[in-house]
Amino acid sequence: MIARSVDALVVGGGSAGLAAALRLREAGASVAVVEREPFLGGILLQCIHSGFGLHEFGEDLTGPEYAERFIRPALRAGIEFYLDATVTEIGEEPGEGAAGRTVIALSRSLGVVRFTTRAVVLAMGCRERNRGNVAIAGTRPAGVFTAGLAQRLVNIEGCVPGRSAVIIGSGDIGLIMARRLTLVGCEVRAVVEIQSYPSGNTRNIVQCLNDYSIPLHLGHVVTRIEGRDRVEAVRVAPLSTEGEAMTGREFRIPCDTVLLSVGLIPENELSRGAGVPINEGTGGPWVDADYMTGARGIFACGNVLHVHDLVDFVTEEARLCAGRAAAFLAGAPVEAMLPVSAGANVRSVVPNSCAPSRETVFTLRSLVVKNDARLIVRVGGQEVRAKRLAHVQPSEMIRFVLEPGAVPQALPGMPSSRAAPTVSSMEVSLQ
Amino acid sequence: MSAGRGRTSAGSRKELVCIACPIGCRLVVTTDASEETTVTGNRCARGESYGKEEVLAPKRILTAVVPTDSARFPCAPVRTDHAIRREKAGTLLADLYGRTVKLPVREGQVLIEDFDGARVVFTRTLPPDEVPAVGKAGSEPEGQDEVTRLQQSP
Repeated sequence: MIARSVDALVVGGGSAGLAAALRLREAGASVAVVEREPFLGGILLQCIHSGFGLHEFGEDLTGPEYAERFIRPALRAGIEFYLDATVTEIGEEPGEGAAGRTVIALSRSLGVVRFTTRAVVLAMGCRERNRGNVAIAGTRPAGVFTAGLAQRLVNIEGCVPGRSAVIIGSGDIGLIMARRLTLVGCEVRAVVEIQSYPSGNTRNIVQCLNDYSIPLHLGHVVTRIEGRDRVEAVRVAPLSTEGEAMTGREFRIPCDTVLLSVGLIPENELSRGAGVPINEGTGGPWVDADYMTGARGIFACGNVLHVHDLVDFVTEEARLCAGRAAAFLAGAPVEAMLPVSAGANVRSVVPNSCAPSRETVFTLRSLVVKNDARLIVRVGGQEVRAKRLAHVQPSEMIRFVLEPGAVPQALPGMPSSRAAPTVSSMEVSLQ
Repeated sequence: MSAGRGRTSAGSRKELVCIACPIGCRLVVTTDASEETTVTGNRCARGESYGKEEVLAPKRILTAVVPTDSARFPCAPVRTDHAIRREKAGTLLADLYGRTVKLPVREGQVLIEDFDGARVVFTRTLPPDEVPAVGKAGSEPEGQDEVTRLQQSP
């Protein structure tokens, strides 16, 4: 076993982990990154399409190009990297007065590595919902893939998963894969979306489906997957206004491949094991204004915290998180924080508290599709800020910056430490 | 008129969804007999320019992977550095699929100097196969040298 001691340990070497590690290193901390793949960059490396970096760099980059903008400086920054290594456990350092964490990683080349650290940054990203999560009836043939797995097969491994495909769900990865499969000679026969509106963004509907005349069946459901050894067809039916499949109008699409693009789940098994409380609204940890989870010294950022739709915002969040983790390492005093909750028409808000003296970058998910919406921030029922939004929809993350001093600093019952109970609270809603 | 496309003796009319921003304005692009193009339904100037370009000469950035000689990294991702005419995509893909590139390659390295006015460049740095994937047993715990060799070609 190898024992190492560092100021901060980052779990995951993708977009969030790399940006966090760089920021911590800039602040002078010693940093180790543990990555389970034998290379850095994470899922960006299989996203060979463009559309990344418009906010961060003002350029239209592909995923691998965006990743290299962080890999190159990270390799020169004096960060310790452990590749092909999996973190299996985050625990508390034993012994009296110990203030740190222990992190156990397993690596084929190094065996067991035991880290002692004062701050852990969770940056494990997310994984795909699969057939079990959406309960599709039928047989269990080969040829059913999640869209991200198919993307890895085509773009990293160089395999084409089939000759003709139907894609279930109109999330962005599914739309991107509709185009990608078409370009490698696999005919995409349809995209089937259960909701009456697409889950992916309009740009992808136009460039990935319309460009190749791929039919999009909105308000339809796949009722059955057919085939014995390999997928032979799917059966598709429209939904009634009551949400029931109208089997009388069912039709059959022959295909040998089914791709599922039915949502992402933050990957938090490791966090749960470390006693980190999870927010059911996002599937990620609850975090305060410092991006610290409910477990002291454990921070979270990127898709493990909540699923983003742009990597640029993952980078921004990872830097903010790492900046606060660096302040924690430096022993900065903890400011009183106001708890923040999701109000009307808001599914989730991150972070879950606000430090009034500092700027807070909030990200929200809407529950509704609406033009000319109004975002309202209330403290103790009183409106303190409002912002007009031209268009909101569940698939587009809303970013909202609350400037320092926007909420009063001294409120009755305001907690003076992280864990104290509170009377006042802040609510973010959409109208 | 069916499927958003139609032709009259005076010119043509096409219905589009604007992709300049998430609002998704429904555009109608009309070209009259004197080849004058007008866009309606847009809420801003970006919608007008998108509508015109989409009707006159739709262009797209093309990304793909090219087969390599490596067992560890069988695909090298590439892109066009500018948008190319959409109808040219098939020709470029056929060219790319017919090649086998030798690793290492660097991000930004040019594969094709000129295709329809664009360069085709690699988007990821990939090492040759003789570099070990990750350190052998007994190597230093930092692993940094392995990473450097892995990620950055000579």
